[in-house]
Amino acid sequence: MAVVTKLPLSSLALSFHLSNSFYLNPISPFSLLFSFSFSTHPKMDTPYHHLHAPPHYPPLLPQEQPSDAGPPASHRKPFKGFAAILASVIFLLSLVALIINQTQKPLPSQNNIVPTSKPTSFSNPEPRGVAEGVSAKSNSHLLRNIKGSYNWTNAMFTWQRTSFHFQPEKNWMNDPNGPLFYKGWYHLFYQYNPDSAVWGNITWGHAVSADLIHWLYLPIAMVPDQWYDINGVWTGSATILPDGQIVMLYTGSTDKSVQVQNLAYPADPSDPLLLDWVKYPGNPVLVPPRHIGPKDFRDPTTAWAGPDGKWRLTIGSKIGKTGISLVYQTTDFKTYELLDEYLHAVPGTGMWECVDFYPVAINGSVGLDTSATGPGIKHVLKASLDDTKVDHYAIGTYNPENDKWTPDNPEEDVGIGLKWDYGRYYASKSFYDPYKKRRIVWGWINETDTESDDLEKGWASVQTIPRTVLYDNKTGSNVVQWPVEEIESLRQNSTVFEEVVVEPGSVVPLDIGVATQLDISAEFETELLGSGATEEGYGCSGGAVDRSAMGPFGLLVNAHDSLSELTPIFFRSSNTTNGTNTYFCTDETRSSLAPDVFKQVHGSKVPVLQGEKLSMRILVDHSIVESFGQGGRTVITSRIYPTKAIYGAARLFLFNNATGVNVKATLKIWRLNSAFIHPFPLDQI
Amino acid sequence: MKAILFVFPFVLAVAYFPISQCQNLPLIEHTCKQTPYYGLCVTSLKSDPRSKTAGDVQAIALIMVDIIKAKAGGALQHIEKLKQKYPALRVPLSACKDRFNAIIIGDVPQAVEALTKGDPKFAVDAANDAALEADSCERGFSGKSPITQMNKLNHDISIITASIVKMML
Repeated sequence: MAVVTKLPLSSLALSFHLSNSFYLNPISPFSLLFSFSFSTHPKMDTPYHHLHAPPHYPPLLPQEQPSDAGPPASHRKPFKGFAAILASVIFLLSLVALIINQTQKPLPSQNNIVPTSKPTSFSNPEPRGVAEGVSAKSNSHLLRNIKGSYNWTNAMFTWQRTSFHFQPEKNWMNDPNGPLFYKGWYHLFYQYNPDSAVWGNITWGHAVSADLIHWLYLPIAMVPDQWYDINGVWTGSATILPDGQIVMLYTGSTDKSVQVQNLAYPADPSDPLLLDWVKYPGNPVLVPPRHIGPKDFRDPTTAWAGPDGKWRLTIGSKIGKTGISLVYQTTDFKTYELLDEYLHAVPGTGMWECVDFYPVAINGSVGLDTSATGPGIKHVLKASLDDTKVDHYAIGTYNPENDKWTPDNPEEDVGIGLKWDYGRYYASKSFYDPYKKRRIVWGWINETDTESDDLEKGWASVQTIPRTVLYDNKTGSNVVQWPVEEIESLRQNSTVFEEVVVEPGSVVPLDIGVATQLDISAEFETELLGSGATEEGYGCSGGAVDRSAMGPFGLLVNAHDSLSELTPIFFRSSNTTNGTNTYFCTDETRSSLAPDVFKQVHGSKVPVLQGEKLSMRILVDHSIVESFGQGGRTVITSRIYPTKAIYGAARLFLFNNATGVNVKATLKIWRLNSAFIHPFPLDQI
Repeated sequence: MKAILFVFPFVLAVAYFPISQCQNLPLIEHTCKQTPYYGLCVTSLKSDPRSKTAGDVQAIALIMVDIIKAKAGGALQHIEKLKQKYPALRVPLSACKDRFNAIIIGDVPQAVEALTKGDPKFAVDAANDAALEADSCERGFSGKSPITQMNKLNHDISIITASIVKMML
């Protein structure tokens, strides 16, 4: 008995000491892993391949660990029950002391060292070659002087509002909902909080436009006022029937927080503004199937017609960590049949939100109605991944006989391959525009500043400029997105620059006046200086200061004359053993001197075919930049919050930070007018 | 009597042993194991009587959000006192007040609504933002902060909350 009691006490002492040090010792790999992730993912925990900021807090110094809670050191253990009780009591008391120590009120301490924060960049502060231009050296002195929390001024906040991107007058917005074209108006609905600049109290906001650019605000279309949507009138889609009827299906969060699908339709179909909506009295029309979690059932798609005349729609969900797409068939949108088989599923991708499913024409130049099928048609399946807050898609073949879709390339299946947009972008939704025969896609762009900033400025989030979607006939492996042509109606004066040569390590200012609202088209040619040896492993990571032989080069938008703030949008090519790779990237790491905004490097490989010049199109609109590489094969949306490069101080530059190529750039740059988005003058009709 | 003495230390040892099988542990320990600050997670939750009857991760997450709110409220009070004591630090302390206010009027309501209405990703955002606000407050002192431990505590409990909510995605 004595031998037995001896053992647990000593092992206790050992295990306690171990656990103490394991969780409080900062050098444990466990805490290091998480200290990286917290300091660089304020809002989105997306895996990414670039640099991490160092943790903002010093490792807990040894003296901060509870010193009086250690177990008794070497300890003779008398062979008596009383001694065993005594040892247990001492142990218990030390546990209590440990707990008290951990929760005691913090005192001001004099000798805590807080490391100065550095922005997430400059893993490579020593440029390899020519030490001019956009090198780390020219800015490093500024980095060290960065103050702590930024004091935003009203002028800075006001500047951040966009001029031609859709956003409500104030408060929070998220997913685009139910986009449609009806009686001459394009309609946009959106998740909207009428009370605050953070997510909550979600309603359906509403706006209309004749041209997808000049929007007019309308009253809120739907509010949470029924038991089946009292906890949220969430995302949904419109289906327009052949006879012109509009069917709106949306997710409601019920009074028990169960996710259900509800039917709504216009109160007055003769009202082109579709101001009022009626919720079907028999709602909900769909409740979660038995094998699906009650909170894993949302965002119904637009329906498409099958060969048997029945409608189908799909709803994303998950089983374990497998993202799935449920299929329902219906004839009247009131009663449905759930198919046994999913449209598609991909393990490891987690919950699929905002699923989108539609046909694209191979070798076509127009969009297709959602019900189109036949030869020469492929289908895009897109999912917004809840786990990573990233939109992914894949192209494949849909079989209308069994309602299953298979990807052309299973290695790049939905969720594990292409992203829809490589920047800050989520919850996209497309619709068919019968007026101009286009497939058009909306995307929600969240803020990357802090919520306290959003509350102070009174608003959060914008939508992208709507984009057309076409199958890329040339590569056959992706879609191309492009801003709708109606944006050209905002173009004012233009400036052309022909064949500007930019040498390695240099920066060329482009004199175009105020540079906060721009539509830029640029083409680049490179001229190799030297041998052009092969190099491996170059992508977007490292950003614009990471110099390699054939990149980076491109444009600096919303840049200050002093280059203290700038946002590079660039190409980086490299000759690898497998041929030439080209990456298209944006680098937000020096977009703002404010330390409390999220600044990332975004981008991806972009297909470049034989004989093609490198080209990019950029829409600059204050705090949002949309960048389209190679005709829209790779698209990146960025949010930036400069503090100095604003209003008249915002400039545009060409830059070449490559070491081994001269760059020749030809550009056409338009200044864009505001879209003057304002409330619809309802009192005048 | 001796049997109890014999068994009890084993139970405690298992509770504190770092590399034990998670599934055999009670809900709090099992959940906290998957956060970056196990000890703080456990002690924070156990200091709240509701944790005794918490039945699932959502209930635990809601308790943590309440703790964020309480700690942020405490921070605001402390900041008011410090403004009197350190007039030279008035500017960064005012900035901190805005940050902790935002946690209380923005992050906490967003997290509660997201958790109760069933769209937890917005609660992850809110908790991560709360950590960021504490970070921002600390940075405003440029190395001479009188509230580093308090900011770290607020930061860490927010991170714990974010990682707990992520389990619900």
